Amino acid sequence: MTEDALSVFRTEVADWLDRHCPASQRQPIVREEQIWGGRRRVFPSDDARKWFEACRDKGYTAPDWPVAYGGAGLDAEQEKILKQEMARLGCRPPLYCQGLWMLGPALLVYGSEDQKREHLGAICRGEIRWAQGYSEPSAGSDLANLKTKAEDCGDHFLVNGTKIWTTKADEADWIFCLVRTRDAAPKQAGISFLLIDMASEGVSTSPIELISGDSEFCQTFFDNVRVPKRNLVGAINEGWAVAKELLNHERKMMAAFEGMLEKPAMALLELAHYAVGVSEDGRLADPELRSDIVSHLMRETAIAQMGERIYRQGKAGQMDARLPLLMKYLGTSQAQVKDELILAALGGEGLSMDDESVASEGVRKMVKQWAFNKSLTIAGGTSEVQLNIIAKRALGMASGERRS
Amino acid sequence: MILNQEQIMLRETVGQFFEDQSPVSRLRGLQQRPVEESYDRALWSQMAGLGLTGITVPEAFEGLQFGWMGLGAVSQEAGRRLVASPLLSSVALAQNVLLNCASKRQIESYLPRLLSGEITASVALDEGRFFDPGSVLVTEQNGQISGSKARVLDASMSSLIFCVARREAGDLGVAVVATDDACVRITPARFMDLHGCAAITFEGVPADRTEWLEGVDVASGLEQAIDQATIILAAEMMGSARETLERTVSYLNEREQFDVKLASFQALQHRCARLYCELELAESAVAAALMALDDAASSVSAQASAAKTLANDVFSLVTSEAVQLHGGMGVTEEMDIGLFLKRSRVCNQLLGSSSYHRDRYARRFGF
Repeated sequence: MTEDALSVFRTEVADWLDRHCPASQRQPIVREEQIWGGRRRVFPSDDARKWFEACRDKGYTAPDWPVAYGGAGLDAEQEKILKQEMARLGCRPPLYCQGLWMLGPALLVYGSEDQKREHLGAICRGEIRWAQGYSEPSAGSDLANLKTKAEDCGDHFLVNGTKIWTTKADEADWIFCLVRTRDAAPKQAGISFLLIDMASEGVSTSPIELISGDSEFCQTFFDNVRVPKRNLVGAINEGWAVAKELLNHERKMMAAFEGMLEKPAMALLELAHYAVGVSEDGRLADPELRSDIVSHLMRETAIAQMGERIYRQGKAGQMDARLPLLMKYLGTSQAQVKDELILAALGGEGLSMDDESVASEGVRKMVKQWAFNKSLTIAGGTSEVQLNIIAKRALGMASGERRS
Repeated sequence: MILNQEQIMLRETVGQFFEDQSPVSRLRGLQQRPVEESYDRALWSQMAGLGLTGITVPEAFEGLQFGWMGLGAVSQEAGRRLVASPLLSSVALAQNVLLNCASKRQIESYLPRLLSGEITASVALDEGRFFDPGSVLVTEQNGQISGSKARVLDASMSSLIFCVARREAGDLGVAVVATDDACVRITPARFMDLHGCAAITFEGVPADRTEWLEGVDVASGLEQAIDQATIILAAEMMGSARETLERTVSYLNEREQFDVKLASFQALQHRCARLYCELELAESAVAAALMALDDAASSVSAQASAAKTLANDVFSLVTSEAVQLHGGMGVTEEMDIGLFLKRSRVCNQLLGSSSYHRDRYARRFGF
């Protein structure tokens, strides 16, 4: 698109957003009001419903997906403009969904036409909420070691096994799963990618209590679950390729995770001023905290600049394919640094997650977030796995010789 | 860095030129030369011949106007080979002090000779132990300049000194003084990284032999020039840091112990992967700062401080780790790794340490 056409597009988008996004939906998002969609979806307010429906009808829940599948068919530049304009007006994300961030992009590459038609639209319209069935109790970083079995029974697969860390599986309608369809060496060669309706007989979930007091994650059990053959994505025993495509999207999403979270009641700097005060020369009263905050701000900015750099490289046809590999590791580590600084600034006020006599609700949320965000460097491929990938693929370091 | 076609060609030409004419061994050659020679004049003439003096200079002043990205790319290439040249001292710092702080007449009187490479200039900034451009004790009294400056880069090779001094009225000024003036005493020295500097004492340089730059706002022009040079230095440091990491990874890919390549050990892989993450993070900040210079963005000062801090920290981390990862070879003069280590120490202090820039950044954001 020419610069002129983009500038016209920007005006149109800004105008559309201004007309359709109610004032209440321009307030910073709070977790209770995030819209995750699904069969059991509820809207916290009429405004929230209106905003969601306007975006859905315009294709803005999945702006970069083709129009035929419920998206808006925007190219990278247009999508960026939409994001910028939404950020400028403070519009809330209209839909949160693993289907949007992970399954959809993988289906666009590996799904059959029927699968795309059946599932992508339902995701964009917020009708189906998806969970991710990857990890198992004995298959974490060594994901290919998974044991959940799908047995070929003619017109269907019979699935038995268990998945763990299935985010919000107790509220999800469908789950995309990696299952073993043959015992093969290497282990990756016997894995298939299967879509399972969680309303099927034999599927059950059990929430896992976390150190943050939340239960974001579940364990999901499959006991003789019948899954139609048409729910196989890609070829049989070739699900690992689909899995990896999807993981790339998950890591991209996690690198930018912070932007989608509820904003803390106070920005870090404001919080530090409030909590530790300033000395006579105008400097933050705690010099070590001050220096740590500056380091954090510089790095946080540099991470955003790296994202921008990757975008510009892509646009200029000068893509350095190594850079996207770094974003998950850098983004999630830095989010944790920020949480540590918030708690350091809070001092004694940051010592309780649920006692109202110790801290206000806003502060308690920050403390919970600190505990919850410890999972960021574990979920979606641990930082250690990311470093393995970087050493091998970006630096070309020799593979480990396994010696007894 | 996203470069345009002209800048890509410039980088490739200059990279090849440095590879052929100024490998790291050429820097070592300076050890055999008198201390006054802080770089090789013949090399510098060739660099000037390539037009490297005029990359950011507007066409109105006979420059190439290839932008700050262009000069940043050239500095990175120089950093890869630890090239000793007045690219930082004269081109990035002195020329921009002139452009930002001088009147049009003064620019026209000095710039052509600087661009042709006929002369170079050095900016006398530092006085005390640390970089602190706000505290200036060299003063103008009864029209005469007196006081001492420290660590003036390449001063013994320059024809002119741009001396930052306190005017009689108390404001900051920049005086142009000839290095061969009888009242200017220059004591050359070599940093441990073999790059050169000098201590300068001004012993009452009389008014008729000094020329004060007469631009509209000398103090902010000076700050702007320091920001520009800081970002260019950060770019040079990124080139050196990248070269150090690449040399280290290829060493680990070659050397065998316990019958396997060292690179196959996960402990070493993770260390290198972390270094690479830090390297690209800093590179992103430096590239954004160069872009901010080209856009004349209001955020340049903060970005200069962020870029220099990240470049300082990563250069020092990468070189320290590189020595360790080279094992015993890392502490020998046979390898160049030690030179990169020393260069990182020197660059960390030039134009402000991380602690200076973190404080400056915090003050800009009001805390």
